[in-house]
Amino acid sequence: MKITLNILLGVVTLCASSCYQPHDERVNLQQGLRSDSLGSNIIVRPVGQVWSALIGEGIEVKRITSWTNKDGFMELEVRGYNKAHGTKRFQYRVEWLDGSGGVIGSKATAWLQNSAMGKSPWTIHAVAPGKNAADFKINTRKIKN
Amino acid sequence: MRHLLSLFVCTLVLAGCTPETRNIDTINDPGKPVMGLDYRDFDQAASRMIQSLLGSGTLTKQGGGRYVVATGRVINDTMQRIDTAQLMAKIEQDLMNSGKVVMTSAVGGQTATSDSLIYDVRDIRDSDHADEFNADTLQAKGQLIAPELSISGKIIQRNIRYDNNRQQVEYYFQLQLTDLTTGLRFWQNETVIGKRGSNKSVSW
Repeated sequence: MKITLNILLGVVTLCASSCYQPHDERVNLQQGLRSDSLGSNIIVRPVGQVWSALIGEGIEVKRITSWTNKDGFMELEVRGYNKAHGTKRFQYRVEWLDGSGGVIGSKATAWLQNSAMGKSPWTIHAVAPGKNAADFKINTRKIKN
Repeated sequence: MRHLLSLFVCTLVLAGCTPETRNIDTINDPGKPVMGLDYRDFDQAASRMIQSLLGSGTLTKQGGGRYVVATGRVINDTMQRIDTAQLMAKIEQDLMNSGKVVMTSAVGGQTATSDSLIYDVRDIRDSDHADEFNADTLQAKGQLIAPELSISGKIIQRNIRYDNNRQQVEYYFQLQLTDLTTGLRFWQNETVIGKRGSNKSVSW
């Protein structure tokens, strides 16, 4: 009976995993929405979520791009990924620095809210308050509630 | 006697439990959000507006130079006593520091952003008191620069019942940039700040 049940479970998992078709990565389909796969199905998912919480997975920064726009203001874009299963809410603050490393005082330097859904990419975009901005520093903090 | 002593001790203890006054760390304030609008919300709204405006390319004047901008009416359509000049001051400061814009105090939709002394000195020039002043130091006619653009907007509040115990309050910050010559709107932006909390909290 036990062996039969295990075989049945294995067959169901295989069937579920075969339903998953790879798609264009520009569209992020969340778990529960897309077809299951070997790595993400009703059996494996809870284990994965517990393990993710146990090892403390969170958000990571993948790429930072900065450029000067046609008006002479520096713009930056930070792209990252949330490795955790749950949504991560956080605040970020961009400090702009001039050519000599001094902080440019600005009202735009404020704590702004952002969030990253579980297993999803996230983006931050900012524009410098003045043409003398040459570099930047970004600080982040978790939103408690 | 014993009851009196207990009451005295209790009063002393309760008096010592009064929260003490502290300065807010406005740079890294870890305080809880409130249902109303606080300085952090204004900072957030102003920051997003400034970045949107500076990133839009609208403030680049053809032929070079800086635009002369006046602050128009910013309507407070919330249940709170907000001085909208408080929000606009943050935006005006960064606009001027950007080097793209110069603000005018001669014309404005809000008294806080205009300087009545501009016209007071002209009234003096045109009055009998003008003789008291050195004529060379009085403002000549035709000196004021008219604004080219105007920035105006609205702050809207919506209260929604979320469930039996909670309410949701939404604040919409809307700003627009208008060319005063043609009446055309060159830039517009809306930032939403939403709060969800107890029905017992007040947002006014």
